[in-house]
Amino acid sequence: MIVEAGQIALALAFAVSLYAAFASILGVVRRSSEMLVSGRFGLYSVPALLLVATGALIYAFVTSDFSVRYVAENSSLSMPRAYTWVAFYAGNAGSMLYLAVIFSIMVVFAIAAIRKNLPYTAPYATGIAALVLAFLLGVMLFLAHPLARLETVPMDGQGINPLLVHFGMFIHPPLQMAGLVSVAIPFAIAIGAMVAGKGGSDEWVDQGRLWGMISWLILTVGLMLGSWWAYTILGWGGYWAWDPVENSALMPWLAMTAFVHSIMVQKRRGMFRMWNMMIIIVAFTMAQLGMFINRGGPVPSVHSFAQSSMGWLFLAFMAVTLIASTALFIWKSNTLRSRGRLESMLSRESAFLAQNVLFLTVAFATLWGTIFPIFSEAASDTVVTVGRPFFDRVNGPMLLVIVMLMGVGPVLPWRRATPRNALRTLRYPLGVAAVAGVVLAVLGVRQPVALIAFMTCAAVVTVILHEWGRGTRARHRRGEPYHLAFVRLLSANRPRYGGYVVHLAIIMLSAGAIASSFYSVKRDFVMAPGDTKSLGEYTFTYKGSSQAAFPDRIEEYAQFEVYKGDRYLGTMEPMRADYPSFRIASTQGAIHSAPIEDFYIVPSEFADGGQAVFRVLINPMVWWMWASGPVMVLGTLLALSPRRRPEPAEVRLPAGAQAAGV
Amino acid sequence: MRRAELPNLKPIKTLALAALLLLVSACTALGGGDVPNVELRAQRLNETIMCPVCPGESIDQSANPLAGQMRAIVYEKLNEGWTDGQIKDFFVERYGESVLLEPPAEGFSLAAWVVPPVAFALAVASLLLTLRWMRMSASNRDDNTEEESGRDAYVTRLEETLRPTSALDADAKDGREASGDS
Repeated sequence: MIVEAGQIALALAFAVSLYAAFASILGVVRRSSEMLVSGRFGLYSVPALLLVATGALIYAFVTSDFSVRYVAENSSLSMPRAYTWVAFYAGNAGSMLYLAVIFSIMVVFAIAAIRKNLPYTAPYATGIAALVLAFLLGVMLFLAHPLARLETVPMDGQGINPLLVHFGMFIHPPLQMAGLVSVAIPFAIAIGAMVAGKGGSDEWVDQGRLWGMISWLILTVGLMLGSWWAYTILGWGGYWAWDPVENSALMPWLAMTAFVHSIMVQKRRGMFRMWNMMIIIVAFTMAQLGMFINRGGPVPSVHSFAQSSMGWLFLAFMAVTLIASTALFIWKSNTLRSRGRLESMLSRESAFLAQNVLFLTVAFATLWGTIFPIFSEAASDTVVTVGRPFFDRVNGPMLLVIVMLMGVGPVLPWRRATPRNALRTLRYPLGVAAVAGVVLAVLGVRQPVALIAFMTCAAVVTVILHEWGRGTRARHRRGEPYHLAFVRLLSANRPRYGGYVVHLAIIMLSAGAIASSFYSVKRDFVMAPGDTKSLGEYTFTYKGSSQAAFPDRIEEYAQFEVYKGDRYLGTMEPMRADYPSFRIASTQGAIHSAPIEDFYIVPSEFADGGQAVFRVLINPMVWWMWASGPVMVLGTLLALSPRRRPEPAEVRLPAGAQAAGV
Repeated sequence: MRRAELPNLKPIKTLALAALLLLVSACTALGGGDVPNVELRAQRLNETIMCPVCPGESIDQSANPLAGQMRAIVYEKLNEGWTDGQIKDFFVERYGESVLLEPPAEGFSLAAWVVPPVAFALAVASLLLTLRWMRMSASNRDDNTEEESGRDAYVTRLEETLRPTSALDADAKDGREASGDS
């Protein structure tokens, strides 16, 4: 019963969002506000309908109703109970339903927010968002069938891939998917503004930036949690492998990073209007490409959990939106002329532009490397693999230049900078970088690239702290105590200082990435119980192993006693789980994490007789990468938080009344 | 004003020093001195060889037993004095070209390496051209605005020349009215 209700709700949601798209667009053409209102309210009802459908699916999962095909394929009786609640987005059809629900909720919030502020843009944005939603729902209704019944009801389900049965499953996939689909909202606002002929009057910029940053934030957190999950659980000692699906999630992130920067130029200077449109079109295209590669794309990946032929529909939809939005862009390009003008090649505007070009080039190189094997196979019949060494070598230098630019861009003033002034502001950072270089070289950091990268990090940190210090001192001289001066400085220009906080987080992330990719050490050890080995300063004794049997898996724990020098670090218990019905194993590393370095043990094999093979790694500074996550979130929230304006009533109070009140 | 600010930078210097110390202290352990050279070479090499049964994953990364065996082979061969190239060839012979995680810089695969830098160069070139064009069209528009402001100046001048006349007219009118009244 409940499942059938869900199916009806799903069909209704599809019909309503299709209606909303037509009503919104027809409403503008016919200048009928009734149609606009009816389309909008139609769209408002979609989340409710989809929540009914989702509720039905979750109900089927929780009650183990294997008569529903999708439930039978993606859960089993032996699965931990908690995971039946989230298993609904583990497979293809369910993840589509999840995408549609989350997107419809975001759309309702976005439309409600822009309806009053952007009266001309809103109907078009509503129409575009409704079309995207209708596409998702159409695919689900006609191809994916999340709620379809089976003719014969199996006794037990097939269960989900055990790698997905983990706490990370509650956060990383839903956030990552939400991030990808959320790019459609700034896209809808931007294209809507352009079609309305308002792309050149910067009224859409504030909302476009806000939703662009929300989308950026979700993508960022999704990526960070994904690499954290890979590092702590998947047990190979790394956090990023340049896997096709990782790349396809990184590309829209890169494009959105370009967008949230260049939109500031339009906000402040009324420039880059065409450029911003192009970037958001690129970003949305890459987000769709991400979904395509994830939903059964043509490239083999460790993320191939949900293979299907449905991916090609995503590709077709991507082509349609790309062609349509490019055509609209060409049609409306005369409304996108700049208000301001670029006065100098040495200015904040041009730094933003350079940043954009670098980010988009990294995105392009990543795309190129990801799809090159397909070209190669088609063009020359040779199967090649494009993996991590390629991306390290191609993207590494560009990422380094981006970090350098992070030190230069913010100190350049708008409009025009003189080289002399720029150099004068940069002399402290450059000095600190030089000192840092010497000190690090003395300490043993001898690889030139690593040395330059660390010096760059030191310079960028100095630039930011220097700016904060100057601002705080200036306020302090006007009589504010230091701590208040600092807090008020940060909240006075939130986009700017929030951006600085994010930049600091990026430096933390970069430092961790540089240190761990240049100076990580790993070795395999064959050990019998009682053996003591050492790696670097660490000494570890293998005490033995113990087994625990579960309905679906056998877990084998190894016990280690670990010392660093003479200091006892405690016991560490890495684990390896075998899932006989899936014939796969998952490992869980034991990590002793500290700001300086992580000590990491993973069991690769347990042989009979207690012997086992372990991989032992020392990963320097990875701690900083995970610590950067919360900082990044805080910085982004600061940057997008609206500034409190002084109450107009207070301002209007006559001086006498105020004095009387006091 | 800025000049006056510059000498008083003590707190900033302290902050900068603190940041530096932070970074330095974090990096002290980076030497990794007592690890033999073969170890590092093996590690670098492992990162470039794919585990044939787990697509996309290097043998350095994979937990598959085959990857473990291949790591052992790499280590062994390095100890026997093989070069990196020889070891890669050894695996290519067994598993084909796709066992290497980076495409060779020859034949069609050369395109993999050439396209990104070319794209970057093109992007920079087109950016510079666009910027020049923007500045040129901006300076054209400057001329326009100068023209406009010239016209504005002309209009204001016109108004200025007109104002006294109208004032005179008004005066004259007033005068006439006054005379009429009287």
